[in-house]
Parts: sequence; structure tokens; C-alpha cells
Amino acid sequence: MENLVYIALFAPFVGSLFAGLFFARSPKTHLVGVVNSSLIGIAFIAAVTLALHVAEHGAVHVTMMSWISAGDLSIPFGFLVDEVSVTMMLVVTLVSTIVHIYSTGYMNHDKAYNRFFAYLSAFVFSMMILVMSDNFAGLFIGWEGVGVCSWLLIGFWYHKEDKTFEENPSISPSWAANEAFIMNRVADLGMLVGIFLIYWNVGSLQYDVVFNALPHLADGLLVSIAIALFIGAMGKSAQFPLHTWLTDAMEGPTPVSALIHAATMVTAGVFLVIRANPLYSLEAVHGVSMFIASLGAFVAFYAASMALSARDIKRIVALSTLSQLGYMFAAAGLGAYWIALFHLAAHAFFKALLFLGAGNVMHAMDDELDIFKMGGMKKVMMGSYVYMGIASFALAGLPIMAGFYSKDAIIETAFNDGSFIIWAILVITAGMTAFYSFRQVFFTFHGEERYKALGFHPHDMYKYVLVAMAPLAILAISFGWFMDNFHEFITKNLPDYEMSHETHHLAPYLGGLVIVLALTGIFIAWKKYAGKGANAWKRDEEFEQSFIYKLVANQYYVPRFYDEFIVQPYTMASKKFWEIDKAVVDGFVDLIGKMSYKSGDVSRGMQTGSLSAYLNWMGVGALLLIVAAAITALIG
Amino acid sequence: MEIGISHYLILSGILFSIGFVGVLRRKNLLMLFFATEIMLNAVNIAFASIGNYYGDLSGQMFAFFIIAVAASEVAVGLGLLIILYKKYGSLDLDVISTMKG
Amino acid sequence: MDYILSILIFFPAIAGILGFVVDKGSAKAYGVSVAAIELLLALGLWASFDTTNPGMQFTEFSPIISQFGISYNVGVDGISLFIVIMAALITLLGIILLRDDTKNMKNMIVSLLFLEMTMVGVFLSLDAIIFYMFWELSLVPMLYIIGAWGGPDRVYAAVKFFLYTFAGSLIMLVGLLAMAYLFHLESGIWSFNLLDWYTLKLTTNQQFWLFLAFFSGFAIKVPMFPFHTWLPWAHGQAPTIGSVILAAVLLKMGTYGFVRFSLPILPDASVTFTPFIMALSLIMVIYTAMVAFAQKDMKQVIAYSSVSHMGIIMIGVFAMNAEGLGGSIFLMLSHGIVSGALFMLVGVIYERTGTKIMDEFGGLAAVMPVYATVFGVMLMASVGLPLTIGFVGEFLVLLGFYKVSAIGTILAGTTIIIGSVYMLALFKKSFFGPVRHEKNLGLKDLDRRELTALLPLVAIVVWLGVYPKPILEPIDNSVKALLVQMENHAQLESTKEAIIVSKKEVK
Repeated sequence: MENLVYIALFAPFVGSLFAGLFFARSPKTHLVGVVNSSLIGIAFIAAVTLALHVAEHGAVHVTMMSWISAGDLSIPFGFLVDEVSVTMMLVVTLVSTIVHIYSTGYMNHDKAYNRFFAYLSAFVFSMMILVMSDNFAGLFIGWEGVGVCSWLLIGFWYHKEDKTFEENPSISPSWAANEAFIMNRVADLGMLVGIFLIYWNVGSLQYDVVFNALPHLADGLLVSIAIALFIGAMGKSAQFPLHTWLTDAMEGPTPVSALIHAATMVTAGVFLVIRANPLYSLEAVHGVSMFIASLGAFVAFYAASMALSARDIKRIVALSTLSQLGYMFAAAGLGAYWIALFHLAAHAFFKALLFLGAGNVMHAMDDELDIFKMGGMKKVMMGSYVYMGIASFALAGLPIMAGFYSKDAIIETAFNDGSFIIWAILVITAGMTAFYSFRQVFFTFHGEERYKALGFHPHDMYKYVLVAMAPLAILAISFGWFMDNFHEFITKNLPDYEMSHETHHLAPYLGGLVIVLALTGIFIAWKKYAGKGANAWKRDEEFEQSFIYKLVANQYYVPRFYDEFIVQPYTMASKKFWEIDKAVVDGFVDLIGKMSYKSGDVSRGMQTGSLSAYLNWMGVGALLLIVAAAITALIG
Repeated sequence: MEIGISHYLILSGILFSIGFVGVLRRKNLLMLFFATEIMLNAVNIAFASIGNYYGDLSGQMFAFFIIAVAASEVAVGLGLLIILYKKYGSLDLDVISTMKG
Repeated sequence: MDYILSILIFFPAIAGILGFVVDKGSAKAYGVSVAAIELLLALGLWASFDTTNPGMQFTEFSPIISQFGISYNVGVDGISLFIVIMAALITLLGIILLRDDTKNMKNMIVSLLFLEMTMVGVFLSLDAIIFYMFWELSLVPMLYIIGAWGGPDRVYAAVKFFLYTFAGSLIMLVGLLAMAYLFHLESGIWSFNLLDWYTLKLTTNQQFWLFLAFFSGFAIKVPMFPFHTWLPWAHGQAPTIGSVILAAVLLKMGTYGFVRFSLPILPDASVTFTPFIMALSLIMVIYTAMVAFAQKDMKQVIAYSSVSHMGIIMIGVFAMNAEGLGGSIFLMLSHGIVSGALFMLVGVIYERTGTKIMDEFGGLAAVMPVYATVFGVMLMASVGLPLTIGFVGEFLVLLGFYKVSAIGTILAGTTIIIGSVYMLALFKKSFFGPVRHEKNLGLKDLDRRELTALLPLVAIVVWLGVYPKPILEPIDNSVKALLVQMENHAQLESTKEAIIVSKKEVK
């Protein structure tokens, strides 16, 4: 089994090296796409085998070698494949494989095709380290690794020029990449502090040692650790107020958005909370857990509200991702870790599908993102239409679909916990979700063919790419059917979450309510945007002047706020400090130099060259000495 | 009135002061020499009188040393003076101030 | 192997003297071969170094002025070993990177070889006078390198560098002499032997003043805030090779001085001064990182970032536990490698375009992909990405310092944020976006000479990031021995409490 662990881990790395070292400078090489896709596929097969093994024989734990050891600290490269990590591995490798295959088609015309695969495989490798590590430091390696790969991939089209905020809210790919990296680093500091706290109080960073030691720690300390680790999770999972990078990250190529900014990397924060469930389920940190759940519910609603009015096809999907991450945190915060993980997996499948579908549309529309310029595209892009329809049904949480089971379970959990405010927010958000996802679908695929007037000639994606997307579609439909199997598998490791009798009793009604809301949302979207003669592209000028619309369209002015109150003051302060550095700090040093210069300049006047003047000075000196001697004699 | 040690020392002090003022005020190099000679001799008087007062010969011995040193100094100094005079045509210190900083 | 340390110290100097008679055309080849032999000797030293022995090895001792206890006394332990190897490596790569058309190549090679002698000498000396001698001698070749090959303001920069550091080390000399005098009072014999000094127990008052004296010498060299202003000038005006060696090795002399002198000789004062050092270091870390962000000149960004990183090293030195101190010594090495490489990279673009202003570039990633890749690797190492060399030291330092002060660590930890702010801003301005000047479209990527100098550094950055053990282990052993020595030596109970050799023994 050990070999399988290494194969799953290093196959993507080999792919990355293959593309990066041998083909970085050569023009587009189809071989790279094939080799890298198959290597990720191999990792997926290894992960499946491992999953079967874990289900049967329990966790696999391997230690490759020691990494850092200094003082009492000893961090190995150790990998733990248990129920939780193997689930993540399956999700990551499966979605990665499909995204790799998809990219061979999507990036077909890009000059930097080989470089793209080098980065993408490197990302998968980092993500595997993140989920497989058996200690917090190893987790941090993956954590930062995915951050760098995300930086590279968001800024993939680095040659694009900076635009103003009004022209493009993300300014430019390279700007968005830097924003993502720096904002994640803010959160990483929190994570590091958590790691330091754990080390100095437990003496180890290994998960098993730490979790066993937790009950012996003081309450205040546990709360600090929980907060610090969650700050880390907030950055990677783009929770408020560290969320602005996620929508800007859409500057990257769409396969990247699908893989990193929807299915895998952004769920790392949720994964961390699930992984650290022995900590978050402690009574002492209940407050923190409740905060996580509340923040999750808030973000779910907050992001959904922004998605209602967004016009950029990728931003809509990104905001829905943000919203769904909120659901996951809500579940994890309420103690339903396995449900959070289940939603994480289901979401990965249907959201990747949705993103890839959106990628098809963009590909067809020459990278046009504005849904107002599309419409009626189902005629030319039947395959993508079906896929995006399935994904949207799943996202909206309609029955039979994967999203129905997982999202419904989360909403039920909130109800069961007695957190009715969270419950209400999540239910309303479910309705909004249905509305905006179908608004997007109708805008894009139904109604008048507005693109024709704009001179686009869309055509669907390559056949093999569409075929490769099929597994995602199948899972988006059927993943929920295996909820009970998953429950049985995962609760060997994660604490079970039992619904109370009453909740169980009320479940059909609660589920019914959610379905009704979702259907209402879809109906409103249909009414507004899909019907013939709905004139959907006509903009409601009056509404766009309203405060609410402006607030939502400007992302609640949060990016503005950051620019105004963090970025600009920081830049100003930096410039001021530089001036101070030159004028005061260095000025003081120069002052000392100048003083000795000056004093030399002044005393130079004494050297007139005239012997009698010197003799006069000598006389003065002698007199001074005599006076000094006399004074000391008198005092002494 | 008996002439005691204090009279000698007062004389020595007056002479030294005269020489000192000469050194400070005079601009002519030759006059400077004279002034220094006066100062040296003022010191000689002091040495000799104090030596006598204590009945110790070393004071007078030292005065002889100083006379010898002063003599050789004058010999060398006057030689330099003549060269300077030949070069500058003057012995005024303000004229020969070439070492101005 | 008996005299290997002396050979290490004096081989470059002798080779430097012989270098005067070498033919002009072959000066660079001569320099490369001498530096390569020196590096091989240093690696040989590592090979025969006993990594399990935390004490001084290969010691040599011969009296020079026995009446005053001044002797030629050298030795190496885990702390100094790798700095010496790094000095040899950086010198070699720096010489390789020299352009063939450098003016007065022979003088350059000779100065570099003399500089190498003084650098190796500083790190190997165990006698305060010999240490001081090498310490001051290192100024001379550097003064010459900046003054003769530097930019337009080179004379001002060189004189500032010389006088500023010289003034500090003179006060340090007073401290060293006072130390020897106190030793004489105590034991009746004169000795400048560091190992003798380690046994001397001083009152806290004496330690206080001696610490200040040492501090003025070391802190200016580090350079700590607010004594850092010579550094941007020196870097701004120095030629590439000068900046590389200055950043990679010469700055480390300051932090090494704290480790070798201040901590073991003056343990109580070191603990007393920790809040003071911490305050200065935190200002260094945050303030200079912000100043770096405001720079327009690429080289100044790296120069200020050096100061910022040296702040992290300083708090590691004063963490008083094995994690922090070991981490700071590792960080000295990693900062040497990374900042050296970054200065080389700035030099590469400066040679091609004649400018270092970032706004003049833009889009270099497309024009010079290999250059951009190497720069990217070094950037990531500089911001402390795991699995690069930069992470290990930074992580250990922050981890170790957390025991001293949680707030301090969080403030110092902002380095991972603001460090990436200025580095990424630099990268974006120079490498991303459209190419701003048409003439930059024709820039050549790294050539063979540059790759020879840079690729070893890239390899080291990755190697020591993934597998730091071969270096971390000897460092850890020696650091633990140092801490034990400090603990035994301390007068105050509070000092003993502050020093943590191992948590296990505390519990």
C-alpha cells in the first residue's frame, strides 16, 4: 500500500517536472497534455485502490523521511491516508483528471500550453500533500504550495495590462494573482500562530499526538488555537472578510477556476476544520464553532446576493462557490463534519462541471464573459447546455441531484441544532441560489440569439472533451444516492451527527420547503429571462440606479474599502517612511559627518600659516592649562 | 634691605612676562628670537636662585645646560634666519606664512 | 587535515598576492580556480567534520604575544562551518558571474581573494584580537570594490560604509579590551582566548556595559535599525559582486558576532536586552519592508528586504532556545544564498539594460523566461515558501521566538505578508504586464556564464528546502551546546529560566 500512497502523491509531481523541465521552452506539445493527464489518471486509480483498502483495512500511515528537526521539534514527511484524506484524494484526483483532459482542448490554442500543464500538475501535487500530510507543518507545505500554484495560474496570462477598477474589477491577471497570494498570506499568519501554539503546548505537530493531547489543554488555549487555525482556513476558503480574491481569481484560465477556485483549493479551509474536528468539537471551543457556522451562513447569503446581479458568467459561478463554501462551514461549525465533507465532494463535482460548461461557452464566444451578449446558445452548444443544466439543477438542490442530498442535510442540521437564524438564512439562500444559477442558464442558452448581432460564431467544444466531462455529470446527478454508503464509510473516522427524532419527523417538510423555494427561484428566472419576448438583455435603468443594486454590483464596496483604507494608506505610509529614512535616519548620520566636516572647516581658520598667530594660540593654551591646574589645585 | 629669594623670582617672573609678551606680539622673527632668549634667561635666573636657596647645585647645573642648549639653538636659528631673509627679503612673519591651511 | 583551517584562511590571501603577477587576460580564470579550490577545501572540511561533536574542532593554537595572551587561535563548530562554506561558494559564483570585460579585472580578483581571507578568518577566529583584525580588514577590500567599480556616488557610499562600520567596531574594540582587562583582574593572566572568556563570570553591571560595546560593533554591521542607512547606499553604488558578497556574507558577521560573543559571554545582559533587541528588530522587519515597497529601484528593494530579513535573524538569535537560535543560523545561510542570488539577478538585468528602475521593464517574463523562472524561485525562497530554503529558517525563528513573545512573533510574522507585498510588487512591475520599451523586446535570456553562477544556487535553494537535515543537525548540536554553556554561565535565575535548551528537561 505504501507504494500506492507514493504513486498517488508523486505522479502529478512527475507530470509537472516532465512538462516544466523538458518542454517549458518548446512550442505546444500535445504529448505533454496526454502524459500529464494520464499521470493524474494514475494518481486517481491509486487513490481508488487506496480507498478500497482503507474501507477494508483502515488507515495507511507512512513516513517518508524527516524534514525539519531542531531543538525538540521534529517534522517528518509523513502521509496519512484515512477515510477523510482518501475522500479528498478521490475528489482531487478525479476532478483534476477531468480538468487536465478538458485543458488539452481548452488550452489548445494557447502558446504556453506546456507551461500550463506544468503548473496545473504542480497544483495537484501540492493539493495532495495538503490532504495527505499527517502533521500540521506538512499541511502548511501543501497550503502554501497550492497558494503559489494558484498565483501562477491566476496570473497565467500575465502579459495583460492593468485596467482601471471601473473597466475591470480584477484590474489584471497579475494583479489578481498578487491579491490572492497576499490575502492568503494574511490568513497563513494566523495558521502559523496556531501551529506555534500547538507546538509549544503539545510538543509535536503530528495530528494523532496533538488530538490526543487536546483534552489536557486549558480552555483559553484551545480557543486561541481554534481561532488561529480558522483564520488560516478563512483565507484559503475565501470567507468574509478575506473573500475578495476569489472573484478576482477568475482572471485565470477557466480550467483553473474549475479545479482550484471551485473544486479543490478553496475547500482546503473546510478540510482543515474537518481534519481538526477533535479540536472544534470540544465543548471549550463551542463558541468558535458557532462563529464558524454563523460566518458560513452569512457568507452563503452574502455571496448569493452578489450573484443575483452579476453579469460576468465566471463571477456568477465564483460567487456561487463562495456561497456553497459558506454552507460547508455552516455544517462543519455545527458539528456535522461528515455532512460538510459530503457537500464538499458533491459540490466539487457539480461546480467543476458548471465551470467547465461556462468554459465551453467562453471558448465558443472568444472569451466573452458578459451573459447579456449571449442568449439562445442551446442550439449551437447542446452538450454544454445539458451539462450546465445538470450542474445548475444540482447546485439549486433539486431532488435526485447530488446537491439536494448534501445541501438538504446541511439545512436540516441547522434546524436540528436549533440555530433557526442560520437555518432561515440557509433556506432563503437556497432559493436565491436556484434563481441566479438559472438566470445564468437562461441568459446564456435561451431566448434571443443576441450574439449574432455582435458577430460571434460559437461552436461547441471538441467531442472528446465533452465525453471527458461525462463522469462529472454522472456524479453531479448520482453522488447523492450513495449518501448512506458514504456515511458508513466516513463515520469510522469522523464523529457521526444524529438528527433528533423530531427533526427526522419534520425532514420531509423541511426538504419540501427548500424544493419549493428552489422551484420558485427557477420559475422567477424563467419568467424574467427565458420567455419569448422577455427582452432580457434590456437593462432596467431605473433599478440600476437604486442603492441596493449599486451596493450589490460593487460587491458591497468591500474591494473599494480595501483599496481606500488598506492599500492606499499602506502605500502612502511606505513612501513617507522612505522619506523619513532618507531625511531623518540617514540625515542624522550625515549630520554627524557634517558636524565633523564643519568643525574642521571652522578650526581650519586657525591655521593661518603665521608663526606669531600659532604662538598666540600656544599662549592661550598655556594660560588655559595654568588656569585649569590652578582650579584643580584649589578645588582639590 | 636684603635681597632674598622672592626678589630673584619676581625678577624672573617679570623677565619671563616680557619675553612672553614679546613672543606673542612681535612679528619680526629676529625679535621673536630675542624674546625667547629673554624667557630662557628668566628661567635660568629662577633655577640659579632656587638652587642657591636650597643649597643644591643641580639648579645651577641645569641653568648651564639651558645656556648651552640656547646657544646652539641660536646658532642654528640664526643660520635659518639668514636663509629666510635671502629668500623672502623680510623677516616679517605675516609675509612668510606659506603654510596657511 | 591538521592545518586545514589555516590553509582555508590564508590560501586565498597567498593566491591573491601571487595574483599580482598573473597575466591580465587570465585573471578571471585564475580567480575562478583559486575560489574553486577554496570551496573544495571548505567542502573537505565539512566531509571530515564530526557532526556529532558540538564543540570546536580542528583547533590550532600558537601564541603571538604571550605576555598579553594574544594568540593565533582558530577552530570551527557547527555554527561557523556552514557560513564558511557559504562564503567560499558565494565568492566562487560571484567571480564566475564577473563579466569578462570588467575593467581592472586583476585588481578585482585580488581584492576578492583578500576579502575571502578576511571573511573566512572572521568566522574561524577564536581569539578576540585575531577576530577583530579580520573584522576590520574586511572593510578594506570592500571599500576598494565599492570605490573603484561602483556607481556615480561610489566614493560617498564607500566612505560612508567604511566610517560607519569602523566607528561601531572601534567601540567594540574598547569592549574587547575591557573584557580582557576584566579577565586579567579575575584570573591574573592576560587572555584574548574566546574559550577562556566563556568561563568568566561577570557581574550584571559589567555585562550591561560590555553588551552595549559589543552591540555597537555588531548592530551596525547587521545592520540593525536605526543604524542601517549605510546599507542602501553601499548596495546602491556597489557593483554586483560587491552587493552579492556584502549581503550574503558581510552582514552575517554582525549576527555571528552576537552568537559568538554577546550570547555566551554575556548571558544575563543578553536576556536583559532581549526586549530592546526585539523592539529594534520588529521595527527593522516592518519598517524596512515598507520602505522596500516604496522603492523604484529594483536593487534598493532587495537591499531593504535584506535589512528586513536580518531583523528576523536577530529575533531568532535572541529567542534563547534551540529552535529559534538554530533557525536564525540556518536563516543566515539561506538569506546569504537567496539575497546573493537576487543581487546577481539584478546585476544580470542591469548589465543588459543599464537601468535598475522597475518601471522601465515590464513583461520580462515573456522576453526572458529562464531569467524570470530563476527570479521566481528566488522570490519564493525570499518570501519563505515551504520546500524552499527560505522557509526552514523563518519558520524555526518565528516558532522559537513565540516562546519569548507571542505578540512579538505575530508582529514579526507579518514579514510573510509584507515581504510578499514588496516582492510580488517587484515581480509584477518588472516581469508581468506588457513590455514597456521596445528595446527590451530583444533582451537575451541568461547565457551560459550566468546560468553557471545561478543554477547551483537554485539547486541549493530546493535541496536545503526539502532536506535541510545535513546542515540543520550540526547546527542544532552546536546551538544546544551554546545554550547549555549560557545556562551554566548565567548569574541570574531569570536568565536560566529564559534559556530553553530542551523543553523535556524543563518539565
